[in-house]
This record gives sequence, structure tokens and C-alpha cells, in this order.
Amino acid sequence: MDAKDILGLPKNSFPALEKKSRPHKESHRKPDGISREVYALTGGLPPLMPSLDSSQLKKKPPSHEKITWQWLPFTNSARKDNLQLYHWVRVVNGVPPTGDYSFAKYNKSVDVVKYTDEEYDKYLTDPMWTKEETNQLFDLCERFDLRFIVIADRFPSSRTIEELKDRYYSVSRAILIARASSSGDVATHPLVKEPYNVTQEIERKRALSMVLSQTRQQERRDEEVVVEAKRIAELRMPAKAVEESQLAASNAVPEVTGRAVPGETASPSNNAQLPPFTLPDNASTIASLRILRVYLRTYALDQMVQATTSSAGPRTVKRIEQTLLDLGVNLKPRVPTKAVCAEHLELRKEMLTLLNLQKQVQYKEAEGSPFCDGSYNEAPGTPKDWTFIPDSMNFGGERVSKKDQKRKGHGHPSSAGHKRPRKKASEF
Amino acid sequence: MSNSSSSKKHGQDQPELSGPTPKSHRAKMGKSEDTDKKNLGKKLKDVEISIPIVYGNIAFWLGKKASEYQSHKWTVYVRGASNEDLGAIVKRAVFQLHSSFNNPTRVVESPPFELSEAGWGEFEIVITLYFHSDVCDKPLNLYHHLKLYPEDENSSMSTKKPVVVEFYDEIVFPDPSEAFLSRVQNHPAVNVPRLPPGVTLPPPIPVEDASKRRKGDTKDHPLSQWFTNFSEADELLQLAAARQQVQAHIAKLRRQISLIDGQHHQHFKSSSDQ
Repeated sequence: MDAKDILGLPKNSFPALEKKSRPHKESHRKPDGISREVYALTGGLPPLMPSLDSSQLKKKPPSHEKITWQWLPFTNSARKDNLQLYHWVRVVNGVPPTGDYSFAKYNKSVDVVKYTDEEYDKYLTDPMWTKEETNQLFDLCERFDLRFIVIADRFPSSRTIEELKDRYYSVSRAILIARASSSGDVATHPLVKEPYNVTQEIERKRALSMVLSQTRQQERRDEEVVVEAKRIAELRMPAKAVEESQLAASNAVPEVTGRAVPGETASPSNNAQLPPFTLPDNASTIASLRILRVYLRTYALDQMVQATTSSAGPRTVKRIEQTLLDLGVNLKPRVPTKAVCAEHLELRKEMLTLLNLQKQVQYKEAEGSPFCDGSYNEAPGTPKDWTFIPDSMNFGGERVSKKDQKRKGHGHPSSAGHKRPRKKASEF
Repeated sequence: MSNSSSSKKHGQDQPELSGPTPKSHRAKMGKSEDTDKKNLGKKLKDVEISIPIVYGNIAFWLGKKASEYQSHKWTVYVRGASNEDLGAIVKRAVFQLHSSFNNPTRVVESPPFELSEAGWGEFEIVITLYFHSDVCDKPLNLYHHLKLYPEDENSSMSTKKPVVVEFYDEIVFPDPSEAFLSRVQNHPAVNVPRLPPGVTLPPPIPVEDASKRRKGDTKDHPLSQWFTNFSEADELLQLAAARQQVQAHIAKLRRQISLIDGQHHQHFKSSSDQ
């Protein structure tokens, strides 16, 4: 009702909806411990987060505890001046809490190394730093608890933060090592184990500032480049895979495919679009056929065809079969001898390759057109070739009605030789 | 199968049986069975033996003689693709008919493997082929949908011209035993592959006299005029033509892609130069 009022809807416009929502509302009963007004604000929707356990809300403190809040003085052990301040304290049964001020533990100070003049002359001389400067640095380090940004700000001579840090850490390390009885004692000390690396630090900050100072435009351009690179890698992969599978098929050498292109692999999701590596598939099919000890040639062919097209979707398979019919080829060979089956399988593989290439061309064209408006059309012969394929072969292009496909398929000069589409094939 | 125990005994006192000259199939089978367990039981890897077969049915309409339940006389069969005798490979064929027939499971123990019946309805016939023991101990099922009525609506039923539905297929035996291979290597019904180098077979078994063999073939079969001629060459030509077309398109697409890539590259370059 409230929502309708807000939206200015007539009250009776959706009577069915209202009827439906009423029992629905009842199923979400107001949980205990939440006031009706607060619950109404949720609109009756179940809360996204589990609300407080309702028993917790009404829990009363144990009756023997009497709690009062008192304005009491306290001292802070982190202070050296014994300053006394007051605050509210929860007092249980009249006994104020004892012990240190609870926030005193957060007052941390850094132990900055102190060196003697003797130690300085022995271990710490540096041509880039005078003794006075070093002293100043350590004073400031002490004063500002190693907050180097502040230190750099207060430092009299102009030194970068990296220079200051480098000097501080190298001095500390040198003293630490010099004072240790053996090198093994301090080997695990963070100052020794992970020495400050100035050049790396400078480089890190430079890179960071570069990223942070990028404009949105630059960012977008970077993204585009990455996408483009990914696309190129993707395109190269199927082409390479096709070449390899053909190579492998002609040589009849298993193992060559599959693992051969790890460098080109862009992302696993791309694999779905690749022409399948038919050879390993066939090998496993042949192995499973062998176990049968006896089988029919047509059964073997079915298995091989399935293995070959397993990675392609049902739509691709349909398209291949339609094209087979258009080419005047039986979906299942009438005389399935070994040679015929091998040829038939090769034909299907080639069709898969063709479909893949066609996808690539479409993709490239779609990708390329915003780049170079219409410049393809200037290329001699291209547009003609381009429209020719989807029409005559029925690969790729939009869905044409079956009648249309057939007429066009047979209108094509090269397929005119196959007189009948062989209706019989469907019986097999 | 029934003589397997006795043949085992035989095998023990006749260790060398690689080149027997049996008088008949049956005698030969018994012997090769025990050689199977000896040196000839070896399997030949990467060799496959295939048997081209044709299976299907021929149905004649009875015309005036047709009754309500017997309108057609039909024969269902499994034959060698070139009408050779399959008896050397197939031991027995079992035709499983529709349950409305008397004794629907029909066993044919010798070639030609065919069965004639009369009826009115179409149904699926399961043909189970059992092989000789050196061939394969597993049976193979063929499924054939009995066809009595012409597919084409226009062609009227005639008593002269039967309905013929036949399918070509090949029974494949991967990794056959040496015994089997040597027994059938010159058999006309069998496709024996070229042997891999290093494999030698015992001398072939002489083919039995012609009169014996003719018994099981279907060359002079009364129905042979209706048998379909399955031409591998036609099929191969058709496939070759189709492949040529597809390959031409592939080549065209490849050129197109390289063309686009070239332009793309140029454009990409020039746009990044800006």
C-alpha cells in the first residue's frame, strides 16, 4: 500500500498482485527483538545480513552485578609528566577497574641506534655524508619516530627520502654488525637480512607515480592495447592449431599436437573456439574400438565423427551436415569402406576448419571496420568473394530458410554435378 | 563351443598344428581352436581384418494371394558384399523376429545366413552374428528395420518388383589372431591388410575345392538380381569432389585473412603513430 501511494498508483489496479502479496507478507513474520517501526523500514524484505541474535537484545545483565558509570581521574603510563585527566569509567558493584590506562600500550617508540664518535670513525664514514649530517639525521629519526617524510621535510640540507633512509639503515646495519660478537648472531635480524635497496625503491616509486598520474584517457588506451594483443594471440592460436592438426594428420604422427603450442595459449576459455585436435581424440577412439574386438565400420565412423566434432556445438554440427547434403555427400556413406570412411572424416575435419576460418574472417571484419572505415571495399575483388561464401556454402551467414539454402546451393556451378541431394541419406 | 573341451585334449598330443589341411570348415575350426592356445594365439597389433558385408531384406507383395496377416513374403539376410561365402568367419546367425511370430528367435547355423518369412508388418530385426572361435569370441549385432512397403508413395505395390533395402557395412576385427589371419588370408570374402614389416605368416591354407565353397555363397542366389551394387569408387569420387570444393574455400579464406591482417597491421600501426 505504501509503495503504491509513493508511486501514485491507483489502489485497485493490481488486485491480483495485492492478494498474492498479502499471504506472502505473513510468511515473513517480524522477528522478535526488533521494533515494529524499524522492521517496517525494511519493507518486509528479509534482511541481507543475519541480524543480531534476538535473544541477545533482550538479555538482562546478571542481577548480582550493579553497574554504574563514574567520572574518575586516571594517569597514563605512556606519559612522563604524570598529567592527570578524568574520564567516565564503568564501575561494577562499586569497584572501579584497576590497572594501567588501556590505551597506554599503543604508545610505541622506536629504538634508534646510538653510535659513539669512535664507532663512527671506525665503521660509518661515508664520502656522501658528513658526520654532522648523520648526527642531524639520527636526531630527527629519534624525534619523529622514523617518519621519514617528516624527517625529510625538517632536514636542513636537501636530501631525498631514499637518501635519508639509505643512510639511516646502512648506519644501523653497520653498527649492528660491528657490535655483534659473531656474524651469525645478527644474520636473521631484519636489518641485515633484508637490506634497504635504494635503486629498487626509487624505481618502485617512479612506477607507482606513473600509474597514479595516468589520465583516464591513457588508461583506456592501455586497456585497448591489452585487448588487442589478446585478440591477436587468440587469432594466431586457431590458425596455428589448424596448421598443426593438418600437419599431424598428413604425417600420421600422434603426440605432435596438443602440447605443442603452450607459448601461444592465451586463456583456457579460447579453446572452445579452436578446431579440435582430432588426432588425440581419434587415438582414444581407436583404442576404445580395439577393446570391442569386433565392430562395424559404420560404428567406428560414428565414433570418429563424434570425437572430431565433440568440441563443436550442436549448431556447428548441424551446419556441417546441411553443407554435406548441399555438396551432394551422404551424411553416412553408402559404401563405408575404410578408404571412404577416412575420406569422409577428412571432409568433415576440413569443414570444421572452414567454419573456423569463416568465423575468423567475420570477427576480423567486425573488429576491423571501426578502425578503417570502408577501406576493405577498396581492395580489389574482396567484397565479391566475401558475399559469395556464405551464400553458396551456407557457412557462417545468417539463418536462411532451408529451401533457400538448397536452391542457392544447387545454383552454384560446381555443385551442379551432384544431381540429387540423396534423400536416402536420412534413412541411414 | 561344445567341442572345446575335447579339442583341448587334442592340442596336448598335437603340439604343432600350424599348417593343417582340413577337409571341411568344421574340422578346421576344431583344430585352429587349439592352435589358438599355442603359438598362433598371438595377436597381431595394428592389423585389422575386415569383412565387407551387406545386410537387409527383400520383400515381395503377394498380390492376389495376400491375406490379412500374410501380405508379403520377405527374406532377411546377411551376405558377403560380393556374394562370397561368409561361412569361414561367421559360425551362426540368429535373427530375432517380432514376438508375434512363432519361435521368434531363429538360428541359422550355416551359410547363406538368411531367413524367409511371410507377414504384414514392419519391425526391427536384430541379427546377431557369432564367429568361429579363432575369429572372435564376441558376437556382433546388426539392426535392420524390415521394410515391406515402398518408400515412395507414388510407386504402387507390385508382385513383380520387390522392395529391397540393403546396407553395406564392414565387420572389423582389430588385432586379429595370427591363426585367423593365416586361415583367411586368401579368402575372397575377407580384406586382409598388408602386414607390417617383420610379420610373417605360416603358409596359407589351400582353399577347399570349389564345390564345397559354393554351397554358402550367394552368387547364384535366386534373389541375386535384386541385390544392390555398392560402388566404393562412386562414393570416393563424390567425396573427392566435395573435399576439393571445401579446400578451395579454405584457401580463399586464408588469403582473405592474410589480406585483412595486412590492412589491419597497417592501420594499427598508423593509429598508434598518432
